[in-house]
This record gives sequence, structure tokens and C-alpha cells, in this order.
Amino acid sequence: MKKNFLVTLLALVLSLSLVACSNGGEKPAEGGDETNGETLTVWCWDPAFNIYSMNEAAKLYQKDHPDFELIVVETPWDDVQTKLSTAGASGDISTLPDIVLMQDNAFQKNVISFPDVFTDVEGSGINFDDFAAGKVAYSVVDGKHYGVPFDNGAVIAAYRSDVLEEAGFTLDDFTDITWDEYLEKGKVVLEKTGHPLLSCISNEVDVVMMMVQSAGGSLFDAEGNPSIADNEIVAKSLETYKALKDSGVLVEVSNWDQYIESFQAGRVAGTVNGCWIIGSITSGDPEQAGHWSITNMPKLVGLDTATNYSNNGGSSWLLTANCKNKDLAYDFMKSTFGSSVEFYETILPSAGALSCYKPAGESSVYGEPQEFFGGDSIYQKVIDFSGKVPSNNTGVYYYEGRSAIADAAAKYIAGADLAEELKAAQEQVLFQMGQ
Amino acid sequence: MFKNKIPLSVKQNRAGWMFLLPAVILITVMNFYPMFNALLLSFQSGKGASLEYAGLYNYTRMFSDKVFMQSMFNCFFYLVIQVPIMLVLALILASVLNRKDLRFKGLFRTAIFLPCATSLVSYSTIFRSLFSTDGLINTVLLKTGILQTAYDFLGHPMSARFVIIIALIWRWTGYNMVFYLAALQNIDYSVYEAAKIDGASAWDSFWKITVPLLKPTILLTLIMSTNGTLQLFDESVNLTSGGPGSMSMTMSHYIYDTSFRFVPNFGYSAAMSFVILVLVMVLAIIQMKVGDKRD
Repeated sequence: MKKNFLVTLLALVLSLSLVACSNGGEKPAEGGDETNGETLTVWCWDPAFNIYSMNEAAKLYQKDHPDFELIVVETPWDDVQTKLSTAGASGDISTLPDIVLMQDNAFQKNVISFPDVFTDVEGSGINFDDFAAGKVAYSVVDGKHYGVPFDNGAVIAAYRSDVLEEAGFTLDDFTDITWDEYLEKGKVVLEKTGHPLLSCISNEVDVVMMMVQSAGGSLFDAEGNPSIADNEIVAKSLETYKALKDSGVLVEVSNWDQYIESFQAGRVAGTVNGCWIIGSITSGDPEQAGHWSITNMPKLVGLDTATNYSNNGGSSWLLTANCKNKDLAYDFMKSTFGSSVEFYETILPSAGALSCYKPAGESSVYGEPQEFFGGDSIYQKVIDFSGKVPSNNTGVYYYEGRSAIADAAAKYIAGADLAEELKAAQEQVLFQMGQ
Repeated sequence: MFKNKIPLSVKQNRAGWMFLLPAVILITVMNFYPMFNALLLSFQSGKGASLEYAGLYNYTRMFSDKVFMQSMFNCFFYLVIQVPIMLVLALILASVLNRKDLRFKGLFRTAIFLPCATSLVSYSTIFRSLFSTDGLINTVLLKTGILQTAYDFLGHPMSARFVIIIALIWRWTGYNMVFYLAALQNIDYSVYEAAKIDGASAWDSFWKITVPLLKPTILLTLIMSTNGTLQLFDESVNLTSGGPGSMSMTMSHYIYDTSFRFVPNFGYSAAMSFVILVLVMVLAIIQMKVGDKRD
């Protein structure tokens, strides 16, 4: 009896899994090739942010094009990258959607590694001069525009104004400052209130990369060769990072969730990150409403090129070569992300999606005071910051460079010589480039 | 009546092959064909889809790749320290749980085997938060006064590697214990009784009866653990992210990076995978030569 039952159960499970598989293959959402003339498929990852924005764009476009249909498949960034690489390497791009959302840092790498997988947007009629120049530069390959710029990664420094007040400071004391001043004032805050000012994920070098870009530095020169060894800006950034860590003003946490939790739970009294972090700040403890304030990031000391502005993250839309109805995709992107102030006015208040579309920055929606930030017009500030961000050469080998910097940082913090480690990092990247 | 001229043995053989055929076809198509293609791929080099034949370039190149060498060192570090500890522990646990007079045997066996039922990603994530600076381990050490300030276990190369080793021991000891338990069922209890009558201590009968009789099983678990450790991936990615820097990164983790995180270099990745294959093969052959004395 028992055996029969088990056999039946097993058979049931097996047949169910087979059914599940065959269903998976038939889903129209899986690929762009099964679409009728008026359907586009998109891969992106954040339901509260880019997926929401894409769906809003579709709603807007449907007003004039009632037959238009948009299918968004929620695909985490890591999966987008893996699927693109697999499709690109195998040469079978039929699995790809019409449009993918691409991290700006991975843009060059993907378009150059898989030239046959993507389609440029030169014919779309989008006026790229309407977008921030630094942003557009990420998605230009061989002089051709491949990306439709989406979100803004301008760096903000956010502080708990109530904690600063407790330590005897105001937001002005943290505006237009240097990292040295930040460190000194941070020590006072730590001593008086027990709160560090900054948390970051260990083994992720986001803060270092933000510092490097804020002084107009890059890990690569304009020709794409690594410029890590003897790079004054990179060295200064790592020194600053180590000083912050040693003082306790910066604490390292082990993953993304802990990072978010560290300031949402009020243990850490601030953060420095791309402006998309605003969504995570406002979705924290409602008791913190009104106690947050935003200003520009500190700048590096002793460098002529140092500024208080940088960029972290951000993404752009990229058309795949599997897009059968290119004209539809062009027109859709142009009439929404490419030219509609109305569209950007819709997605800003509900998703906090800050655009890089300059005409939208003049919209009154951006100037509205935000209660969560003590009635400050923070979006206006961010738009202002984003116009001042120095540009950055990500190169094709951005992730190799970043990895080498993480290696160097770990060894330097453990006590190794900085110049030696930067030289080793340079050699590591050069080695990895010599395929 | 129709008479069949084909001998019975041939018929049975044919039937046997018919039963094997589906599996053989599947393995050939799903396993051997990709492996052969990967071998071809390992002789090619280039970015993403634009690959060119480059002979043995990938193979000679990896020996000057500091990150790959570091990751190979890490894998062998895990292998040399973790596998012996784990196997000895599993053996001890198995013989304790095999005692006739032990109560709640089922409960203990289940408890020790249970970690194997957890997903690799989730247990790695849990170990990560356990050992983080504000995690349970640090909190306990601080509250009991053993530490004055929290220790960053994942921020130091040695401690990060040992966190991985501890995690691996927790996850895999029960798995190996089950093999030993199964093998122990085949040792007649009377052998132990006879040894006891002859005055052997528990220690003696463990080393002189259990271990020699379990030798084939020990060999099996040793080869499986070696194989598993050299291909370690989930723990490196999820527990330490290979960090600090790449000080705890495993070879498979680096292969993933060179294929999907960095500028895709599938030829190089395939070549590194074949090096792992050769390493596992060589170690398995050595272990069999040393361990298996059956002629």
C-alpha cells in the first residue's frame, strides 16, 4: 500500500513538473519573437521603480495607440546579465525581449562584447542634447547612441537632522564640506550621540568609486587603459576611506539588507549614495519623517579637480537585435522617455524616479516641498547636483577595475603599502584585459 | 510455431542495452557533447561572442593570473583543513549513533542530517549574518566579555576562510555520516562483541575494526568531498562574496566572474574549468592508489 502511494506521488510530481516546463516554454512573455505587431517585451527589475515607470510609459503611449501592448517581465539585474551573456555567446538571441534595462556601468561591456545582440537608437529621433551629457556618454559606443537614458544616479548625502542637532550641528555644517571636515564633525557626532554617519557594504567599493568620480577621476583613461597605479585621486580616495573606517564614523555591514536597515532603524545617522536611495530612506520608520535632510557629498582634500558631486548607479534602456518592430520601439521610447515632460511628472512623485531629461527638471513637480525631508525641495537639489557631476570613463573593463580596487582596499586596510597595492591592481586589470 | 534462433544471452544483452539507451542518449547529449564543446571553447580566446582559436594560450595564461592562483590556494586551504575534520567528525558521530544502547537514535540522526536539507544559498546567507559585526556570534562574544569590541570575521582573510570552513562542516558532516551509518549496518555486531570479550577497548575496536572495514566508504566520501570542495561556489559567493578582496574566493567563483561579471571571456573560463577537472582527477587517482588496497 505504502509503496503504491509513493509511486503515485512520484509520478504526480514528475508529470506536474513536466507540465510546468511545457507551460514555461509557451509563455509569450519569454521572447520578443512571438509578439504581434503592436507588442513590446521589456526586462527590468524593480517593481516600485523601473517596472512601475515602464508601465506608466505604456499607459501614456496607449492613449494615442490603443492597440499597443507592453509586457514587462520582472528580471533581476544579475539574471539580465547572465541571460544576455548566454544568448550572446550562443548566438541564439530569440530568447531576448525587445528592450532591456542596462546598468550604465555594464553598458559598454555588453555592447562591445556582443555587438550583434543590440540595436542602436540613432534612428529613433530622440534629441540626446536634452539629457545630461555625462549620462548620455555611458551609452555611446563607437560614436553611436545605443541607450535611452533612464534614471539618475547623482550622489546625495543624507543626514538625520535631529541627530546632527543633538551634536550641535546643522545641515549647513555638512554642506559644501571636505571629507576631512566630515571626519572631524563625524567624530563629534559619534562621541555625543553614539551614531556613525555612514555605513557601507564590506567588499563593495561604492563609496570609493563615488569619491574617485567626484574629483573627475576614473580607473581608466580615455583610451580605455587602466590608470590605477600612480593615480593621485584613487590613492586619496582609498586613504580617505581608511581614515573614515578607522575612526568609526564609517561602519561596514555585510550585505545590502543590513545597509538599508542600518539607517532605517536609526543606528546610522546618514548615508552617501546615488539619489535612488531616497526611496529606501522614505520607506523606513515613519517616525523618522521630517528628520531627514539632503545635501551634497563631501569633497576630497588636496586635489584641484575635487567637487562635491558624483554619480553612483543609474541605468538606461537598450534595444536588442531581437526587436522585430524597431519602428514601434523607437516611437514608443521617443514619445515617453525621450520627450514627455508629462510622463516624468507622473513617475517622480509616486516612484521617486528622477530623470536625466533636462526639460523635466524645470517642471514645477520637481520644486514641490517634501514633508519627509522637513519641507525641503529635495528633487530640485538633486537635479541641480546632477548637472555638476564630473564625467567618468567606465571603460569596457569597469568590473575588473572595481574588483582590483576592492582587492587593493582590503590589503591596504589590513596594513599593506598603498602605492604597491595600486600598482598590483593596475597589473591585475592589465592582465585581465590581455585576453 | 515460430522459433527464435537468437541465443538467450544475446537477447538479454539487447534488452539490457534497450533499457540503458535512453540514459545513454541523454547523458551523451546533455553531458558529453557540452563537455567536448567546452574543450574546444577552452582553446579559444576573445571578448564575448568574438572568439578566435588561440591554442594553449588560456592554459599558459592562467598560471600568471594572480587572482586564479589565489582562488586555487583558497580551495586547497579549504580542502586540507575542512575535509579531514569533517570526515573524522562524521566517522565519530556515525559510530556513536550506531551503538545499540543509544536512545532517541532517530532524533539524533535526523538532527545531524538535517543541515543537508537546507539550500546552499540560504545557509550561506544565514552564516553571513551570524558572523557579521552585529551578528549573533559577535553579540555573544561581547556580552560574555570574551571580546571588547566586535571582531569583523568576514573582513579579515584568515577568519573569513575559517567561517567558510565552519559553515562547510556544519552543512556536510551529516551527509557523510549517513554513508558511514549505512556501511556500519554491514558490520556484524558480533565482531564487536567478540572484540569486547577479548578485552578490546572502544577506542581499539574503532580503529581496528570500524575504520578498516569502512575503508571503501571512507575512500568514497573522501573523493566526493575533494570534488565538492574544489568546485565550491555558493559559499564563496553568498557567505563572503570572495572577500575581503578576493582572499576567500574559490575557483568556481572566479570562473563565474570571468564569464558573467567581467567582460565575458568564456574561453578562459572553460580552460579554468578543465584545470579543476584535471585536479579532481589527479587527486582521486592518488586517493584510490593510496587508499584502495583491493587487488
